Amino acid sequence: MSAEPVVSTQSHLGLRRMDLVKKWAGHIPAYLILGLWSLFTLFIILWIMLSSLKSTRELFADVWALPGKLHFENYVKALFAADLELYFLNSLAVVLTSVVVILALSAPASYILSRKKFKGSNLITLLFIAGIGIPFPLLFIPLFVILTGLAINNTLIGLGVLFVALSLPFTVYMLTSFFGSLPVELEEAAIIDGASDFQVFFRVMLPLALPGLITAAIFNFIGLWNEYQLALVFLNNPNLSTLSLGLYSLSNGMEYTGDWAGLLAGVVIVMIPTIILYVVLSEKMISGITMGAVKA
Amino acid sequence: MKTRKRLIALFLLPASLVYLAFFLLPAVWAFYYSFFDWSGFGLNMKFWGVKNYIELFRDPIFRLSLRNTLFILVVGGITVFALAFLLTVLVNSGVKGKKFFRAMIFLPNVIATIALTTLWAFIYNPSFGVLNSFFRVIGWEAGAKFTFTSMDHIFYAMLVALIWIEVGFFLVLLMAGMDKIPAEYYEAAKIEGANQWQMFKGITVPLLWDVISVGTVLWSIFALKVFEFPYAFSQIQPPTTIYTVAMYLYIEGFGKRDPIYRLGYATAIGVVLLLCVVVIVLLLRRLMRREVIQY
Repeated sequence: MSAEPVVSTQSHLGLRRMDLVKKWAGHIPAYLILGLWSLFTLFIILWIMLSSLKSTRELFADVWALPGKLHFENYVKALFAADLELYFLNSLAVVLTSVVVILALSAPASYILSRKKFKGSNLITLLFIAGIGIPFPLLFIPLFVILTGLAINNTLIGLGVLFVALSLPFTVYMLTSFFGSLPVELEEAAIIDGASDFQVFFRVMLPLALPGLITAAIFNFIGLWNEYQLALVFLNNPNLSTLSLGLYSLSNGMEYTGDWAGLLAGVVIVMIPTIILYVVLSEKMISGITMGAVKA
Repeated sequence: MKTRKRLIALFLLPASLVYLAFFLLPAVWAFYYSFFDWSGFGLNMKFWGVKNYIELFRDPIFRLSLRNTLFILVVGGITVFALAFLLTVLVNSGVKGKKFFRAMIFLPNVIATIALTTLWAFIYNPSFGVLNSFFRVIGWEAGAKFTFTSMDHIFYAMLVALIWIEVGFFLVLLMAGMDKIPAEYYEAAKIEGANQWQMFKGITVPLLWDVISVGTVLWSIFALKVFEFPYAFSQIQPPTTIYTVAMYLYIEGFGKRDPIYRLGYATAIGVVLLLCVVVIVLLLRRLMRREVIQY
């Protein structure tokens, strides 16, 4: 404050204020549009959360009113009567395991493809990336045959295998570009110091790549947690349902049960883990999208 | 040299084998199945030649699904990019809370599809939904009686919601590209007296060309295979007016009420879908090929 030069006179200040006002006024349309867009999203999320605490009767009496009494029993009902607690555990098990396996497979592969080029390595990279363009539904029937042959169709293991295989293209795409952007000096120094290839990877490259690995992990976790298409096709046993699929069945049963409040509680249960992850780590998540697409 | 080979094998083989067995081979295998008439697992397959494909091009439901999918691709794509560009420019115009706005606009992308469709079911509900209530309040009769989820309108109602979700993804992509354009370029242009539009056309678009072309490819792939949102949006029995190609494939192959599945036919739909992706991506690459500007 005291460092402010004393020369600034009254007219100076007046001018500056004018500029500020003008600058602010120029931003009004931007704030208005961005504000409305953000508000809409925020409103929607708050509305779901509040409505999930109303009784179904209250909900239909006035959809936009605040809950009179907080009906936490909606959650108890959704979790235990509608089995969402079981689905939650199924999802947690299959998604977490898949994410670990995806990283364990793609990190070493991406390291080789971006740092240890050999004859044919570019072709292999291309084949991995081409997978991004292959629409999954094409694979459904052959995969059904393969999984049945291996006796893992309609099991969480089978679903996990598909989660891993179908996530490889994008993860390899992300991680090859991440490994490619790391500096070579440390790697070279380690080799000069006599480190073996394995030591270079595990002691030098892996720690350096940690931010990229975390991003890939979050990205895959959120995508797989939310997905229900593969679960819909490859799981028939209601006891094995993932949370997203369970919620899908719950919402389809609505016309018979009419338990909208319970459904909304289920919606909150499925949203919470990804929203928490996003609030804590949104920068990482966002950087994941751009990791492959925007060259550093 | 030997250890290097061992390293490559050990590091690259596991991922490659899983990918080969559960992704690439099934993709190739699908072509084979598409030449058969096959009504269920465990039942006999009958060689059918290209009959599935011939039938496909005469099938009015398939044509409708294809039309819908291409509509999402083109009209949806143009809208998503226009909005994403507009919002990106606004977020970058020097407003406070840039990261907050970006995070909010991207937010729908991390929420489960079913959660989003449930929500839109409440927005569009004819008896108590927010839109119809709003029209009732302002006294617009026709608007108040409009059924967004009727056979004729459900597809467009779905598309609006889908666009709202996807804008955030492309905003993030464009913002990341824009952050790397040196601010001096804009300052120099301002000194020269350029207006906003001239700067957008002369600096932003050319320097973002790489990002834009990756973005259009990603959008095309997404749009051609879109399934989860429209399928959940329309509840148990979607009217054919909302079918996308991937939805029709699923319904023919797995999702019919009466269990007469047509696995060969469904796979043929998948093959056509893949060919669409290949043709459109190649076309885009050619159309968007420009000299990359290094800066």
